[in-house]
Amino acid sequence: MNKALTPRPQMPMGALPAPFHDRIAAENVQHSWMNWNGYASPGVLDTAEFEYFAIRNQSTLFDISPMCKFRIKGPDAEAVMNRMVTRDVRRQKPGRVSYVIWCDEDGNVVDDGTLFRRSEDEFLLFCQEPQLLWIKDIAWGFDVEVTEATHDLAGFAFQGPTTAATLRDLKIKEIETMRPFDIRDIKIAGKKVMISRTGFTGDLGYELVMAPKDALAVWDAVYAAGQLRGVRIIGYEALEMARIEAGFLLPRVDFISSQTNLRVNRARNPFEIGLDWLVTFDKPHYNGKRALQRLAGVAPKRKLVAIEVSKDKAAHHALVYHRKTREVGFVTSALWSATTKRNIAYAWLEAPFGQEVKDDLWVEIYLQREIEWQRRMERVMIVERPFFVHPRRTVTPPLNF
Amino acid sequence: MSETFDAIVIGAGHNGLVAAARLAKEGKRVVVLEAAVEVGGLLGGADPVAAMPFGIHPKIASSLGLSRHGLCYGAPMKTLSFGGGERVEIDGSVARGVALEMAANYAELHRKLTRYSGALAKMLTKAPPRFRDGGLGDMLSMAQLGLSIRGLGKTDMRDMLRIILSNVWDLCEDEIGDGPLAAALAMDATLGGAMGPRSPGTVLTLLYRMASTGSGGAGQRSNPIGGAAAVVSALTKAAEASGASIRTSSPVARVLVDDSDRAVGVALENGTELRAPFILSNATPRRTLLDMLGAQHLNAEDVARLRHMATNGMVARIDLDLAELPEGLSEADLGQRIVVAQDMRRIERAFNAAKYGELPTEPAVEFTGRKTDAGWRLAALSQFAPCKLKGGWTKAKKDKLAKATTKAMEAALPGIGGKITGCDVRSPADLEATYGLTGGHWHHGELRIDQMLMMRPFAGAAQYRMPVAGLYLCGAGAHPGGDISGLPGWNAAGQAIKDGGAT
Repeated sequence: MNKALTPRPQMPMGALPAPFHDRIAAENVQHSWMNWNGYASPGVLDTAEFEYFAIRNQSTLFDISPMCKFRIKGPDAEAVMNRMVTRDVRRQKPGRVSYVIWCDEDGNVVDDGTLFRRSEDEFLLFCQEPQLLWIKDIAWGFDVEVTEATHDLAGFAFQGPTTAATLRDLKIKEIETMRPFDIRDIKIAGKKVMISRTGFTGDLGYELVMAPKDALAVWDAVYAAGQLRGVRIIGYEALEMARIEAGFLLPRVDFISSQTNLRVNRARNPFEIGLDWLVTFDKPHYNGKRALQRLAGVAPKRKLVAIEVSKDKAAHHALVYHRKTREVGFVTSALWSATTKRNIAYAWLEAPFGQEVKDDLWVEIYLQREIEWQRRMERVMIVERPFFVHPRRTVTPPLNF
Repeated sequence: MSETFDAIVIGAGHNGLVAAARLAKEGKRVVVLEAAVEVGGLLGGADPVAAMPFGIHPKIASSLGLSRHGLCYGAPMKTLSFGGGERVEIDGSVARGVALEMAANYAELHRKLTRYSGALAKMLTKAPPRFRDGGLGDMLSMAQLGLSIRGLGKTDMRDMLRIILSNVWDLCEDEIGDGPLAAALAMDATLGGAMGPRSPGTVLTLLYRMASTGSGGAGQRSNPIGGAAAVVSALTKAAEASGASIRTSSPVARVLVDDSDRAVGVALENGTELRAPFILSNATPRRTLLDMLGAQHLNAEDVARLRHMATNGMVARIDLDLAELPEGLSEADLGQRIVVAQDMRRIERAFNAAKYGELPTEPAVEFTGRKTDAGWRLAALSQFAPCKLKGGWTKAKKDKLAKATTKAMEAALPGIGGKITGCDVRSPADLEATYGLTGGHWHHGELRIDQMLMMRPFAGAAQYRMPVAGLYLCGAGAHPGGDISGLPGWNAAGQAIKDGGAT
């Protein structure tokens, strides 16, 4: 092949190559890169739709190394984590993962993340926003060591129906007994790997974390083993579609972290976001508890709701109206869900809309058809999250597909 | 079974005693727990740290009937400034020993500052307003401050707003010119704080000090007959007469919090537990909240605010024994406030060294004195002597400071150095160790604009109520802060009574 015609991998300016960069770049025919926490992360490698269907029908690899990762270790590790998040960490056993949020003193959500309990006195926290200083502030006065592990741990999400079968082919016996949110320490290609049955897709799937030096060996082994089961490397766009279906929220998209908002009334509390189920009052003081107790007693001023929209055009960035006239909210994430055949979205609605008043709500969708804009009013129904969750997500031992 | 009270006051400093007396007067069963062997805090002992107290606020003195308990004030203290070699005498608005023109300008400046401080004074006797989820009363109280400033008239209002956040250096340079007279004002503006005359906000601290009205009027310290001990004794008697009990040598180790997130009592270091629905702490904000209550009961934001509170003490207390008085200093002078600082420039230079953790070669000094059996004892304050001194406070450092202090005094009062027979230095680090005074800071935290009013001790913890219900701050760390006015204790007790009535 003529060397001059070979596409050269391009990188967003200044972004670092993530541990799996060489493998992803080789498959990234679109050369679509995004900057995720300073790392080059693929937006889409080939076609977002193909990648999305690979999540739902086959198996997929997505590099999660750029996520912010923190290690909290020491005699007071449990006390510090329990002081930080709104769930009761005392009930989380070693070897388990939980989805957590944490709040500031006003009860507004700072960020969400997954908390891995590695042992009695060690946790790993994975999240979107840099949180080192926040965790250190929380941990002040406690006997614990907080370190940033973002650059010391590589990882990828291995998601989709055929993932368990692929891991079986790799002789990973541990998956037979792993329930959702379980962690095991395993070996792939002779390398140490922390595997957890977790993910962002509402389906069967795993996340694998390893040392950066072992990253490519593990990736290659899984990628090779998955060939006959349709494994595909995916980018952010496909994952974004799956995560909307799976009912997960994204900071900066669906809500603003209370550490990054500039306008005072932009921060949101868990009751508004609909994450009440993550908030417990049945534990000692934790950050924001007093404010949350006050907020729990009053009706939220607004609410993030899951909606279904009539017809098939996704309601991206649409405004929501009551009786087609009064503006009562807006859409944050929207998708025509190919798997559920529903036109789905998340929307913020001012009280009482979406709470007491659920009828006669409309979205105004703008469509461009060969440079001409069209406006459509479509009916909105308030529905429950998630839009999609497959029973095989939780079946243990996991099934072969 | 632990003993039960209506209220527990931690610390028998003057604010703790005022709070206890007010609560007891309202019929509450109060116990005051003092860590030291004697009461009084910085006013306690034969040579109290605060040897030149401002007066207990007249409103408090009359409400508690302190005169019945033996507190009466002599004539307001004059200020004698010896910096320039000749003697400058300041009695309120009257300055003698300076050029006529300067004296006239000073009188005008004093008149102005007195008026401005009067507008501020209204804010001192009540709880500061709360902005977040504050009620109508809070808004009114803020509006009242606005109104009282507006009430000065257009010209004075504009002038006050122009100078209030500026520095005392510029103010004095503009109005009277540098010299011993300006230095005496600059001493008042900076004493106890980590700020030099050129630091922004020193006009505010000066006004604030002038607003702490004792019986002598704006900015004049009032010498109680019998000294600081008389203040302590009257407050103790007033508290005890209303039924409060005071227990010394009872250091509090922890504030107890129950499952419903309420402070319900205290545990002493010896393990004894006492219970009460209201706990008022006269200890510093940091000691109260981080040591006694514990970070686990606080939000991380509050812990960070406490950690970062400016509390670097800058004043060393020096006792000097004199065999006899030097020429130019009479026995009557010793009852007054004597300032040794040639001009504002010297004070600023002394601060420059302290900023970088070093001792000044020429400290600014103020002192007063009393007669003893052996001669005279001077109670001097030497600034700036940073608590966080490079290399720590060793004996050598103390000797160095004592030497520099006496040298500065010798320059102003020739002959005094040779008459000194004994010298004892108490560094800010000593004050921290002896009195649990965070950073050795008199005011439990720097008095500056971002740590005043609703920001005192820190945003979100004003109005004396600490984040855990039932726990109150009643010391200088709370509004209106330092100097010996008793107002923090008085206001905190008022807040507790108000909250107690509501529940």
